[in-house]
Amino acid sequence: MGAGATSDSVIEVRGLWKVFGPRPERIVGSPSADLSRRQLEATTGNVVAVREVDVDVAPGEAFVVMGLSGSGKSTLVRCLTRLIDPTAGIVRIGGVDVTAADGETLLDVRRNRVSMVFQHFGLLPHRSLADNVAFGLEVRGVDKSRRRAKAEEMLDLVGLAGLGSARPDQLSGGMQQRVGLARALATEPEILLFDEPFSALDPLIRRDMQDEIIRLRSEVSTTMVFITHDLSEALRLGDRIAIMRDGRFVQVGTPAEVVGAPADEYVSNFVRDVSRSHVLAVESIMTLIGAGGAGTNGFSARVPLGTKVCDVMSRLAHHDLPVGVIDEDGIVVGSVDRIAALRLVAGEDVLDVIDGTGDR
Amino acid sequence: MAIAAVAVGTPAVASDRSVRWRRLVIPTVVVATICVVGAWIGDGVPTWLDARVRPWSDDVYDWTVQNNGDHWLFTRVFEPIADTLTATNDAVLWVLRHLRWPGVLTLVALIGWRTGGARAAIVGMLAMAGCGVLGFWDETMVTIALMLVAVIVALLIGIPLGILAGRSDRAERWLRGVLDTAQVMPAFVYFLPVVVAFGIRVPAAAIATVVYATPPAIRLTSHGLRSVPVVATEVGNSFGCTSRQLLAKVQLPMARRAMLLGLNQVIMMAFAIVVLASMLGVAGLGGRVLSGLQRVQVGQAFAPGLAIVFAAVALDRITTGERAKRGDRVRRRMPAFARGRAHIATIVTVGLVVAVAIIAAGAGADDFPSAFTIDITEPINDAVRWVNDNFRTGVPVVGGTGSFSDFLTLHVLNPVRDLLVDSPWWAVVAASFAIGWASAGWRLAALCGACFVGIAALRTWELAMDTLSQVLVIIAVSVLLAVPIGICVGRSNRAERLLRPLLDAAQVMPAFVYLVPVIFLFNIGRVPGIVASVIYALPPCIRLVSLGLRQVPIAPREAAISFGATPRQELVKVQLPMAARAIMLGINQTILMVLSMVVIAALIGAGGLGLETVYGLTKSEIGRGVAGGVSIVLLAVVLDRVTQSWGTHPRRT
Ligand SMILES: Nc1ncnc2c1ncn2[C@@H]1O[C@H](COP(=O)(O)OP(=O)(O)O)[C@@H](O)[C@H]1O
Ligand SMILES: [Mg+2]
Repeated sequence: MGAGATSDSVIEVRGLWKVFGPRPERIVGSPSADLSRRQLEATTGNVVAVREVDVDVAPGEAFVVMGLSGSGKSTLVRCLTRLIDPTAGIVRIGGVDVTAADGETLLDVRRNRVSMVFQHFGLLPHRSLADNVAFGLEVRGVDKSRRRAKAEEMLDLVGLAGLGSARPDQLSGGMQQRVGLARALATEPEILLFDEPFSALDPLIRRDMQDEIIRLRSEVSTTMVFITHDLSEALRLGDRIAIMRDGRFVQVGTPAEVVGAPADEYVSNFVRDVSRSHVLAVESIMTLIGAGGAGTNGFSARVPLGTKVCDVMSRLAHHDLPVGVIDEDGIVVGSVDRIAALRLVAGEDVLDVIDGTGDR
Repeated sequence: MAIAAVAVGTPAVASDRSVRWRRLVIPTVVVATICVVGAWIGDGVPTWLDARVRPWSDDVYDWTVQNNGDHWLFTRVFEPIADTLTATNDAVLWVLRHLRWPGVLTLVALIGWRTGGARAAIVGMLAMAGCGVLGFWDETMVTIALMLVAVIVALLIGIPLGILAGRSDRAERWLRGVLDTAQVMPAFVYFLPVVVAFGIRVPAAAIATVVYATPPAIRLTSHGLRSVPVVATEVGNSFGCTSRQLLAKVQLPMARRAMLLGLNQVIMMAFAIVVLASMLGVAGLGGRVLSGLQRVQVGQAFAPGLAIVFAAVALDRITTGERAKRGDRVRRRMPAFARGRAHIATIVTVGLVVAVAIIAAGAGADDFPSAFTIDITEPINDAVRWVNDNFRTGVPVVGGTGSFSDFLTLHVLNPVRDLLVDSPWWAVVAASFAIGWASAGWRLAALCGACFVGIAALRTWELAMDTLSQVLVIIAVSVLLAVPIGICVGRSNRAERLLRPLLDAAQVMPAFVYLVPVIFLFNIGRVPGIVASVIYALPPCIRLVSLGLRQVPIAPREAAISFGATPRQELVKVQLPMAARAIMLGINQTILMVLSMVVIAALIGAGGLGLETVYGLTKSEIGRGVAGGVSIVLLAVVLDRVTQSWGTHPRRT
């Protein structure tokens, strides 16, 4: 889970740049890349969408990229399969160097290893739902009966059983995106890419779809790269979150790290309105208790490591005693009292207790 | 403005001054130079300014006449093409004739049903039957056969090129340059080189039509492909489509609707040109109109003209399906036959049509039954006589058509023409240069100046000034009429409902047809040409003005109303300024139509450059025709580019 590069990561990105505009190569790493967006566009006509990005995504991990609109998220995710050709840098997918790949290898990666879910669903209006779901298989050359069976199965999986012969324009947005999801899953990819898949949906439906993703992740162990501009979505779904700004990653870390220890002003502005007690676990504010040390009694309750702070708040409110924190073996390792909880809610720094990424 | 100047400070003022200097002083100097040099050369076009296009073209034509039996260019290239076209045309005509009129009507009805439901089927079939009722069934079939051949060839050439242009930006740029130039050329001008290479009759007419109909075919394909949302292409790529899979599985299916809508345009355009190609000596509806016009026999021209209108309506009805227009939602409400699968529908159609044709053959229904036909020639001639007797002069207040004609000639046309013809030629060049500069800077100025010098060098100066004067009058009248009407249509839904059918119908009429009713009223000469051009140009102009107004987003209009703007203030302060560009582009398109119509109006005595091309075509004076034709193109380029720049460049203040 750590940010350290490991050779067994499924997605490996090194020094990735994408510059739009005329003669983009000359911008990469040059002083003009550090100009402000407006200045650069005025002087050379270029836009730097992604700059110097390094990422490693471990197998089975859900890696979320979050940033405001225009920060380069879509461009980054498209560079992974070269839907947009990167200007500089290396992308490896399952060990294959995508950036140097020839046409055939690239097709193989796109057909068999990676699938994508699009922001505005990207369903093909001239095809039935079943044909949409089977699109990846059809492109791959799978025969018709197998395609049909797989499409049924996938529609079933996303809760649209029996709608195979309907057309996309007969469905609501939420249902369309379920089809988009089914289409991506149908090819049984190792990696799923999501480009703001739920941002066009109503909040309630969006929540449903997030639950759907969480459910899916418990069933299949696909690696995910998930783009969003919605922090709560990022916190719900991500194992790790990268905060992107002006094409650059300003912080990469677990939800707790991002919320508890924002790397800079920009990130802290972002996470300011998050209810931190919902994201952070008790260990981030507990007072450590040495093994067999004093004060193992006198708790109003005992909760396991990983319990969210919000879950102990009410107990702290009703009892004067602190709450004990126990590890897997039932041994008390720390305690949380009212004051610690209030300090967290008040927004005081809690990073001294977190094993931070050293970003600060 | 003031705030910007303060914020930016002194440097902006300095650069402002230098910009203004460049903007004013340089063109003034150039214009002055042109005037001084021109005055020194003399007011008439000097004799040495001669591109010798006429003698040169005549030499080329003489050479082709002498060599078309044995030179490889003819025996290996032009003749085989001509023979193929003739053979294809004969084959299509054979089929149409052997389907007999019941079979053709069945075919029209079934196609209409399939594309637009029962209404399109009935209207299409009735309109087509109307051609037979007027007594022109076979002429209609001849015309339609030629059109079909041209459309097929245009699609065979246009679709692959369109796919190329739709997928590659470089190909698009190249083709766009060619297509834009092709677009400003009036149809008559295409005819000249075609006549030189292919002679006259069917092959020449087919080629001329193909040349005219291919650009829209390219455009519709490329536009269709480019209207496919980027995300669909991305989806295809992300799942690993090869380039060919992407085209076949994503882009072409998604472009289908736009392409079908474009197909209608290709067909209507081809039909208009095939009618006009009667100038090249093909029989058919156009030929009948032409001979009526040439003999100034309104009745003889009117009946085939009406048949052209019927045929155009039928073709338009059955090729613009509501389905293609409105999309799949309409489709669900349509009859089963229209909803079903394409190949089943095709089999049913062919089967039914053949069955009807066989029954018709058995029943001996070879020609359109004379019991159903009506000859309207005599009634029309009577009507013309009556109009002549009663409306030419002496009608209270308006004065009658003859008086109107005289007034327009004496008080509007002649002064404008005299101004242009009597001015020294260099003054016109200098003026065009200045207008070009004021509109879009030195490039356009140079282009305008060069075009007018070119016209002088073609030795067609006076004729060109005559045509230009007519065009300017027509444009002024059209804009004066179209803008207020367009504003009405753009703002009132009732006016829109009232005029929409008229505007739609006007759009599908071949230009040629407009000549008939005006000679009915105004006899021949420049005035009927001008009236026909105005009538021809009005509908699209009205349509584009109203479209421009309707495209203004609702939010700023609501904002204006919420601040208490009266409807008039809302129109003047919000809607018109926001629609200004669209309106200017509409006028730009109108101008090209006007020019092509003025050329055709030479057939009814409008004179000018058009007459030169008509002479060139009908009297084999190719040199004269080419000089006139090229002059028309130069005029078209100037008018097109200048008005285009008004539409694209925001006016500087
Ligand atoms: N094809 C393109 N040409 C030029 N600039 C582009 C192009 N695509 C994206 N950009 C620019 O790159 C930046 C990043 O865009 P994008 O990746 O779409 O951002 P996000 O998905 O985070 O909203 C934006 O500023 C955008 O204007
Ligand atoms: Mg995006």
